[in-house]
Amino acid sequence: MRMIVKVKNVVKRYSEKIALDHFNMEVYEGEILGLLGPNGCGKTTAINCILSLLSFDKGEIEVFGKKMTPNSYDIKRQIGLVPQEVSVFENLTVRENIDYFCGLYVDDKNVRKRYVDEAIEFVDLKDYVKFYPKKLSGGLKRRLNIACGIVHKPKLIFMDEPTVAVDAQSRNFILEGIKRLNGESSTVVYTTHYLEEAEMLCSRIVIMDNGKDIVSGTTEELKAMITTSEKIVVSFVSIEDSVASLMKGIPHVIDIERNGEDFIIKFENGINNLSNLLSFITEHNLTYTKLYSKLPTLNDVFLELTGKELRD
Amino acid sequence: MNNIIRNCIYQGKNLFRDGSFLFWGMTYPIIMAVFFYAAFNGMMNVNIEDINIGIKENKGISNILEEIDFINVHKIDESEVSEKLESGEIDAFVDGNLNLIVKKSGINQTIIKEVVEQIKQILKLNRPVDGSEFSVSYVTGKNQEANSIVVIFYSLIAMVSTYGIYAGIATASLVQANLSNIGIRINATPLRKENFLIAGVIVSFLMNLLANAILLLFINYVLKIHLFNDIKYSAVFIILGNLFGVILGIFIGVSNKKSSNTKTLIAIAVTLLLSFFSGMMGPWIKVMLDEYIPFLNRINPVSIITNNLYRINLLGSTRSAVEGAIMLLFYCMVFLLLSYVFLRRKSYDSI
Ligand SMILES: Nc1ncnc2c1ncn2[C@@H]1O[C@H](COP(=O)(O)OP(=O)(O)OP(=O)(O)O)[C@@H](O)[C@H]1O
Ligand SMILES: [Mg+2]
Repeated sequence: MRMIVKVKNVVKRYSEKIALDHFNMEVYEGEILGLLGPNGCGKTTAINCILSLLSFDKGEIEVFGKKMTPNSYDIKRQIGLVPQEVSVFENLTVRENIDYFCGLYVDDKNVRKRYVDEAIEFVDLKDYVKFYPKKLSGGLKRRLNIACGIVHKPKLIFMDEPTVAVDAQSRNFILEGIKRLNGESSTVVYTTHYLEEAEMLCSRIVIMDNGKDIVSGTTEELKAMITTSEKIVVSFVSIEDSVASLMKGIPHVIDIERNGEDFIIKFENGINNLSNLLSFITEHNLTYTKLYSKLPTLNDVFLELTGKELRD
Repeated sequence: MNNIIRNCIYQGKNLFRDGSFLFWGMTYPIIMAVFFYAAFNGMMNVNIEDINIGIKENKGISNILEEIDFINVHKIDESEVSEKLESGEIDAFVDGNLNLIVKKSGINQTIIKEVVEQIKQILKLNRPVDGSEFSVSYVTGKNQEANSIVVIFYSLIAMVSTYGIYAGIATASLVQANLSNIGIRINATPLRKENFLIAGVIVSFLMNLLANAILLLFINYVLKIHLFNDIKYSAVFIILGNLFGVILGIFIGVSNKKSSNTKTLIAIAVTLLLSFFSGMMGPWIKVMLDEYIPFLNRINPVSIITNNLYRINLLGSTRSAVEGAIMLLFYCMVFLLLSYVFLRRKSYDSI
């Protein structure tokens, strides 16, 4: 697959604060790349540097094989941006806003009309075309923000946390839409701090922390990188502390956490863990009220790689 | 080109529907006009009586002055000058070298000064002076109840002609990624910033001109104060005032990273101060500056507009029109150039 964005060793300082610290990232044609990391890790800064909106101190950035500069109008023509903050004209209606931004890329009137209609359809704002942004709810504003960024059907789309402050239903609608866009041959770079979104949407993920790219790969590849491969949660009707401590001896157990009645047992190397635990339970005549196995999540990956949880 | 027209349409809509433009640009100047009318009209609604000029006997100038309708010439001895000025029997004394001696500052003194200045100019050109040249325009002026209030109105018009400054600031903010969210989006599109700005200048200029036209119609037809005898020359200065305002706004907008609110405050302070010096709060300040720091009125853009509107329409004199127009154009060029320098920096250090 063709690499269309290449970010190499980029360093960006805001006076004292280092926002990007030798950051690397590659985007391949046709993928949905998730840029995943906690608040303030540098996701927005990375996008702004790629688009040459921000100057940076060190490193190289190429887009579509060319060095990106503020005057790379031919490259910008093929890009769409959905900025993190809602960025629309306050005194233009929904339709006028979408049409204005479309017109910066598309000259032909008929094509433009069709594109605008499709974008309105895409974010489901048909009932609001004559509304001014200040009359829209927060979630609807975000949908308008998305429409303005994708209306010209760009080859490469940057979306900066487009689903923040959007209700669950709208969020699913948007995520489905992004998959459709991707199906229509747009490459998408999607930043988020929601693990579930990244996991469900993205074909590849770059995990970011403190301005650095920690690791990248498909969800499966990332999960395979960590030692914890399975967690089993169990709670007993009653259990002696002495017996509980014996659970550490079950093969492949790395660690046991106790959360109220629940024991969370972490295993490495996934095979036979559940049957080993069940043998232990029969052996000690224990009765359990619940028992289930959890496969590792991206949160476990993040936790193991950075030592902290990726939670709001 | 297409791009600029489209930007004009959309930016025009965005500006025109803006509540603050509708209030500050359109309504507020009318409120000010009504306020000035109410505050000053009753107080000063006296026709200017004939102006009394003292002059030494047997000087050629007295013939010219005597020909002017509204001037009464009193031949007096130099020893009486001080006393007669004090008592108000004469408004001013012109000595043999055409120097003006006054005791008070007022509208009469200003008019005499204009007239004498003009005579000096004409004499310099070695042209015969014809006193009737002065009467025509002034007589019309007089029929219009020429009084101090008109100076205030010229000053008000001069000030609101520069009100494009606010739209200029807003346009600059919309196109800068470090100043507004829209700026981030626009900088990510293939639209050139210059084109957005050019469209913004055109739109701000036309909108403010429209607001000015509405104000002038209001003053003329509702308040029934007739300010303009020479529409063409007056229009030149109002248009230049508009251009100056918008470009100064763009400059304030692009030259620093202060918030939009701070910039608006700067703009309010600048326009108010310049207007104050040009005589908007009463002609005394203008007369006083004319007397002691004439330099300031010659470089203050609002004064340039006020003074020229006043001279053109009340005194029928275009003596300083060319100089004033060149000065205003010079300001426009300078601020345009400086804005360009600030805009050339392409990527932002911080957004
Ligand atoms: N203009 C600025 N001046 C100084 N520091 C800044 C500026 N913008 C961002 N930062 C800092 O740089 C770091 C990275 O910010 P950035 O906005 O890129 O993070 P992010 O990953 O997008 O966070 P979020 O998920 O909250 O959007 C943060 O610590 C932030 O405080
Ligand atoms: Mg961000």
